[in-house]
Amino acid sequence: MTTPVLEIERLRKRFGGVIAVDDVSLRLEAGRIYGLIGPNGSGKTTLFNCITGVERRDGGRVRVSGERVDGLRPWEIAQKGVGRTFQVIRVFPELSALENLLVVTRGHLGGARTRALELLRFVKLEGLRDEYAGNLSYGQQKLLEFVRVLMRDPTLILLDEPAAGVNRTLLNDLLDAVRQLRDRGKTILLVEHDMKVVMGLCETVFVLDHGEKIAEGAPGIIQTDERVIEAYFGR
Amino acid sequence: MTRRRAALAALAAVVAVLAAYPAFASGYGVRATLQVFMWIVLASSWNLISGLTGYVSFGHVAFFGAGAYAGAILVAKAGWPWLPAALAGGVAAVLLALVIGYPCLRLRGPYFAIAMLGLNEVLRALVSYFEGLTGGGNGLSLPTLDATIPIYYAMGASAAMVTLVTHAIITSRFGLRLMTIREDEVAAEAMGIDTGRHKLYAFLLSAAGPGIAGALTARDQGYIEPISVFPLATTITMIVMVLFGGKGTVWGPVLGAVVLFVAQEVVWTRYPYVHPLLFGAIIVAVVLLMPRGVLGILQIRYRLPRTI
Ligand SMILES: Nc1ncnc2c1ncn2[C@@H]1O[C@H](COP(=O)(O)OP(=O)(O)OP(=O)(O)O)[C@@H](O)[C@H]1O
Ligand SMILES: [Mg+2]
Repeated sequence: MTTPVLEIERLRKRFGGVIAVDDVSLRLEAGRIYGLIGPNGSGKTTLFNCITGVERRDGGRVRVSGERVDGLRPWEIAQKGVGRTFQVIRVFPELSALENLLVVTRGHLGGARTRALELLRFVKLEGLRDEYAGNLSYGQQKLLEFVRVLMRDPTLILLDEPAAGVNRTLLNDLLDAVRQLRDRGKTILLVEHDMKVVMGLCETVFVLDHGEKIAEGAPGIIQTDERVIEAYFGR
Repeated sequence: MTRRRAALAALAAVVAVLAAYPAFASGYGVRATLQVFMWIVLASSWNLISGLTGYVSFGHVAFFGAGAYAGAILVAKAGWPWLPAALAGGVAAVLLALVIGYPCLRLRGPYFAIAMLGLNEVLRALVSYFEGLTGGGNGLSLPTLDATIPIYYAMGASAAMVTLVTHAIITSRFGLRLMTIREDEVAAEAMGIDTGRHKLYAFLLSAAGPGIAGALTARDQGYIEPISVFPLATTITMIVMVLFGGKGTVWGPVLGAVVLFVAQEVVWTRYPYVHPLLFGAIIVAVVLLMPRGVLGILQIRYRLPRTI
């Protein structure tokens, strides 16, 4: 059996009385797209935050390509090949679109520029490369954040609602890009409320409810799972 | 490119005039310009940490004071010539920054500002306490020496150096990484930027200039005491200069230092009583009307690079 790209064992996080992530375990294999769904407040973002070190976990283990990363600083985890976007946009507003991409790179600047311009062209932002990121529209900022992650060429990519607020045509390009990344061997974990997106993209879906993983499986199966239906629609 | 060449030519002319200035200027003119140089060093140094990373240092004069005491002690007690003593003042300030930067830079927002303020008060108390070395509250006198003109050049070189370093940083990816700390530290870390190390580097760089300027000022004035080298007002002045000129730009702190120093001199000599009032009014006006500063506004409105 190959080493999973991400392996989480009994991860736990509480905020005061709220258990935001409740003993969640999951494994992600290389070269696949996974979905993470669940009602509002079910702990999806918190799970991302615990994986990436933005929040300190209360218990459990996180391994990236076999290596323990829980307890590391967020930048150390990022340097182990984990990239993420945020549900609430976090571009660097007073850096230009181009600078937003360049700043996360190391090594040869010329190569980084070429790559950055290529990615800006891909999300149709090349004409706005010198514009402050803060002046871009919501959807454009979302796309910029997406390509910023790609600049570092991570092996594991966590996307927190990448489709929200992105217009239809660009959305299809974006979903294609995600598939291409998968084909190049990247692993993607995607939080998404739009079920059509999840169904069309993900091979495996995890469902959270009140911080607990209540189901896991192919999207078609998940849709008919009683606990999932109950979590979404109540009794 | 031609615009760039014109700017460089203008800059060379300014440097040439300032270099020749002591040959024909009055004693007052040299002293006043020396002070402008000092303020450029202080304001630009503050800009390096606070303008770029957004970590507002409310006790930056501590590095000036540390440099002043280190330099003055070396001159008065160890008989060092003033130039190596000035460099040692810079080294002392950087060492101080290394010791306090590590714990303090973990604090965010107002906590860092307050910690720096506290540091300055602690240093002032320490200096007063260790009388044997520092002369305590009675101050420390240096052997008389008329070196105002060489010190003018040394301070001018320091100002040029800090400005050059600022330019190099602001146009580099290192500088951009510092700015991500100001823009969104959480996102910066999630993107693999080691913000702690970057903050520390910026902090060390921002301490060197004030340390040298402190030691040079101590030598020039020939006498220092705790209240003269650790005044909170100096920190506030450098902050206002940067805010007025435009934080995060290369020339904003320089502009702020020149304009506010000149304004201060004019008002001070003509209307000594309204001086503090006017300074307070400038602070309020800058914060309310143009929080970005003069060059900051131009930069945003006309899409100019940060190297203005
Ligand atoms: N920083 C925090 N402090 C306190 N409680 C928090 C914090 N972050 C999240 N929570 C709580 O943890 C629970 C899980 O929140 P989380 O944001 O992870 O949910 P989510 O699944 O991402 O929801 P959504 O679909 O709305 O984005 C919620 O009850 C939320 O109120
Ligand atoms: Mg969320």
